[in-house]
Amino acid sequence: MGGYIMQIQHFSVNDGEGIRTNLFLAGCPLRCPWCANPEGQTLCNPMTRWAETEEILQEVRRQAIFYRFSGGGVTFTGGEATAQPEFLAELADTLYDEGYSLALESCGWFDFHRLRPTLEKMDLIFLDLKHPDPEEHRRLTGQDNGLILENMEKTARLGIPLVVRIPVILGINGTDDVLAKAFALIRKKAPGASLELLPYHRFGEEKYKELGLPLPDPAFGIPTREQMARWEDQAKAMGISVVSYR
Amino acid sequence: MLTDRIEMIRQNYVNAKPEISCQRAKIWTDSHKETEGLPVCIRRARAFYDCCDRLEVHIFPGELVVGAIGEFRKCGILTPEFSWMWVDREMDTFATRPQDPYLMTDEQRDFVRKEIFPYWKGKSLEEAFLARLPEDTRRIGVDTGILDNDSKWRQAVGEITPDYQDVLFKKGFGGIIREAEEHIAGLDAVNPEDLEKKDFYQSILWTSQGIIRYANRYADRAEEMAAAETDPVRAQELRVIAANCRRVPEHPPESFYEAIQFLWFVQVGGILSENPLSLNPGRFDQYMDPYYEADLAKGAVTQDFAQELIEALWLKYSEWVWTISANTADYFAGYNQFQNLTVGGKKRDGKDGTNPVTFMALKATEEVKTHQPGLSVRVHADCPREFLDGVTHLVSTGTGFPAIHSDSVGYQMLLNAGYEPEDARDWNNCGCVVPHFRKTGEWTAAVNMNFGSALEYALNGGISLMTGELMGLEEKPAAQFATFDEVLAAFYRQFDNLCRHSIILTVEAQRLHKEMVPRPFLSSCIEHCMESGKDLSQGGAKYNIGPVITGIGLAVVANSLAAVKKLVFEDQVCTMETLVQALRANWVGYEDLQQQAKACPKYGNDDDYVDDIAIQIANHFYREIHQYRDIFGSPFLTAFMGISNYIPMGRVLGATPDGRCHGEPSSEGVSPFVGTDTSTPLAAMRSTAKLNQEVHSGGTLLNLRLNPELVATKRGQANLGAMVQTLFSLGAFHVQFNCISSDTLRDAQAHPENYKDLLVRVAGYSTQFVNLSRSMQDAIITRTEHSY
Repeated sequence: MGGYIMQIQHFSVNDGEGIRTNLFLAGCPLRCPWCANPEGQTLCNPMTRWAETEEILQEVRRQAIFYRFSGGGVTFTGGEATAQPEFLAELADTLYDEGYSLALESCGWFDFHRLRPTLEKMDLIFLDLKHPDPEEHRRLTGQDNGLILENMEKTARLGIPLVVRIPVILGINGTDDVLAKAFALIRKKAPGASLELLPYHRFGEEKYKELGLPLPDPAFGIPTREQMARWEDQAKAMGISVVSYR
Repeated sequence: MLTDRIEMIRQNYVNAKPEISCQRAKIWTDSHKETEGLPVCIRRARAFYDCCDRLEVHIFPGELVVGAIGEFRKCGILTPEFSWMWVDREMDTFATRPQDPYLMTDEQRDFVRKEIFPYWKGKSLEEAFLARLPEDTRRIGVDTGILDNDSKWRQAVGEITPDYQDVLFKKGFGGIIREAEEHIAGLDAVNPEDLEKKDFYQSILWTSQGIIRYANRYADRAEEMAAAETDPVRAQELRVIAANCRRVPEHPPESFYEAIQFLWFVQVGGILSENPLSLNPGRFDQYMDPYYEADLAKGAVTQDFAQELIEALWLKYSEWVWTISANTADYFAGYNQFQNLTVGGKKRDGKDGTNPVTFMALKATEEVKTHQPGLSVRVHADCPREFLDGVTHLVSTGTGFPAIHSDSVGYQMLLNAGYEPEDARDWNNCGCVVPHFRKTGEWTAAVNMNFGSALEYALNGGISLMTGELMGLEEKPAAQFATFDEVLAAFYRQFDNLCRHSIILTVEAQRLHKEMVPRPFLSSCIEHCMESGKDLSQGGAKYNIGPVITGIGLAVVANSLAAVKKLVFEDQVCTMETLVQALRANWVGYEDLQQQAKACPKYGNDDDYVDDIAIQIANHFYREIHQYRDIFGSPFLTAFMGISNYIPMGRVLGATPDGRCHGEPSSEGVSPFVGTDTSTPLAAMRSTAKLNQEVHSGGTLLNLRLNPELVATKRGQANLGAMVQTLFSLGAFHVQFNCISSDTLRDAQAHPENYKDLLVRVAGYSTQFVNLSRSMQDAIITRTEHSY
């Protein structure tokens, strides 16, 4: 079998421990207007391709020696890593059996029951929280955050290290008030989880051009270093452990 | 934190232009006028003694480690006995030449032309070499950029690691004198072989007495200066300096400070005797740590003062400049003397040798940012975490240091060259990336061989694209090659011819060195020479290792052959005839074909299509060279090391089938061609590790540029450490990183005044960016910057 992928990116060092291979799997249930990888929103487009599972496995195995010395492994990301659940399971099952360290990055909008066996094979899970308010979440991404928060709670109970990631965007969620609400939700739903705040960036704009899509709203603002540091302190003050994979 | 004193000396080092001193050349010449008729080793030893006896004594402000080679603080000397002709030809433009300029006055120029050069006319090594070289070898081997060994006949050999552990720190030169006297007493004057030995031991007496005399003159001066000094602190320092110079190097050092001073006196001796390239301090942390720990235990030194002494030594290493021709400076750019100093790695017994001095050496390089010593580290699979962290931290500071080497591959390279296991485990680095050992005589950079030329001659009927002259073997027109294998066969035929001439160049030079330029001072620093009674140049060392031929342009040739295979024989995009015409036209009018050539597989991306060709060429190179023997019967060795030789060797090459234009730099060591390793550094590492690096006992070199952001955090540095460990587990010997962004380098080109201390990795060594010629700077900026 196989599935649609955006990219296989070796030498990734920001999505888990050590030196990793990021598998960017295509497809996504959300439509975030700030998305950095718009080619990942659909399965099939000029920037994605079909890849056989075996082809991907072979590429990953060639990198094994770099994972071994660095404590790295494979991170499933996207798009949305869980949008092709069978493809994901096939890759994860084989790599798990071969002893690779695995991580998953997800927007949190998935069928927990169905995904649970795959989640349990992960060494680290990243879940996004785009906005604490359900209505605002729906307005921004097309879905409310009910299922996402429910999955966060369930995933946290698996006992696997969990990092909640918030993309911080001025004009969307980059205020003291919104972030304080988000932090409170994390404390409540996933008390053991760490937090990583990711500042908004515009490196994806070339992809919008290539796909002939309108560019993200220029009003989306990039937070300053000082703002980021302040919000990190705010989260710490609420008892949340803040991490960075930079 | 630098002390004020070190910062003051450092500022002078960064800002002062090097000046040429004529004193050594004058004394050397006068001495030779007085010793006509004596054996050459005695004449050279006497000249050395006279220099030690007559050179002006200079203790510069603030110095803790003393000993000058001339009247200037940043100073180079002349060695007319090797070559005066290039100096005569080039010294009028010393101050204005693009690479490694020196200051020299008109008075100095008049002086050397009147007082020094006339004596050496007809007597220099250069003249003898040129007179003896067969015409066909001379055609491709002298100032051509095809084969280059001018550092072996316009300069001394250098390439030696004094034995501090078993000779110098154990015996001192006083002990060496006693040993020589004992040997002389046991010789019989009716035995011709004994007479040779007697000359040798007598030369050792002269040089040993010379260096002791030199040190005592510094002791006298320091005492005088102390007496006249109004600052009581400096006066006390001068009294300590005087006491140090009374003890060392005559006697073994008794303290850390004396050991440091001893090191510099040996360096001075080496410089005065032959102005050597790569006179390596060797395993500094191994032989210095016992003194440090003993002094620390008895309160004789503090950690801070020991650090200051190491930094003072680093500055001394950097203040002398190697005086070289413009041609040589192209190959060894950046005032580089290649004094390679190695820390870390396993001890002779196989245990890890990391100690406090290891870390102080790393810290000294980070703090003073001098281009010398060339700091090398040995990393093994089980090296302490703190050590690997220290190494990657130093990389992150962007100095290009340290050169990182695989402990186990270095060991294997020495085993393959014939060393005993215990000695092989005790290896240090020589020059840029040559695994070496202190009981060795070896020409570690005998000839640079331009691989690209062999390909050019194969595709162009033996004729140079640049000059139109027949430089290779005659060959049928390329259009008549019916298969790729025929192309390969033609390449190897030209290649083997270049190998053969490389051997001729080396053996002729070796014979002359044996005859004309024995090396008594440096021979006294090598244990086995004293036992055998033979000079280094006569094969007196315990190990006489075969000379190293360095291959330049492996990536260019592998990429080019891959392009020929793909474009002409597989995809049939063009005929051989068209490709050759495109090369002759330097791709003008063939731009589409050039783009297709550039799109062909490139070495450095973990692509077997082209990597297999690189492996095949590298293995062929080893087999071909290794079958030849030098004058001592030792098999020649191969290397893919760096230096800046890929620039001049690219300058004489026409366009190549990989898409490269004529005159552009070739490729260095086992590194990918600049800008073509576009995958990840991991893929570049994998490609280079496919070569059987351990058979190339002359060393292999990989340079990579990393985006500084990658190693800005501790986590990033830890990942870099893991990458290095991975590379070494794959079988690679060396890697070195430049971590300075292209933006910074461009700004440094535009505003050199703001970047005088910016060190960059050239190839096998680091040097000040602003001291590189524009073309070297551009080449460094072009090197692919890996980010993520």
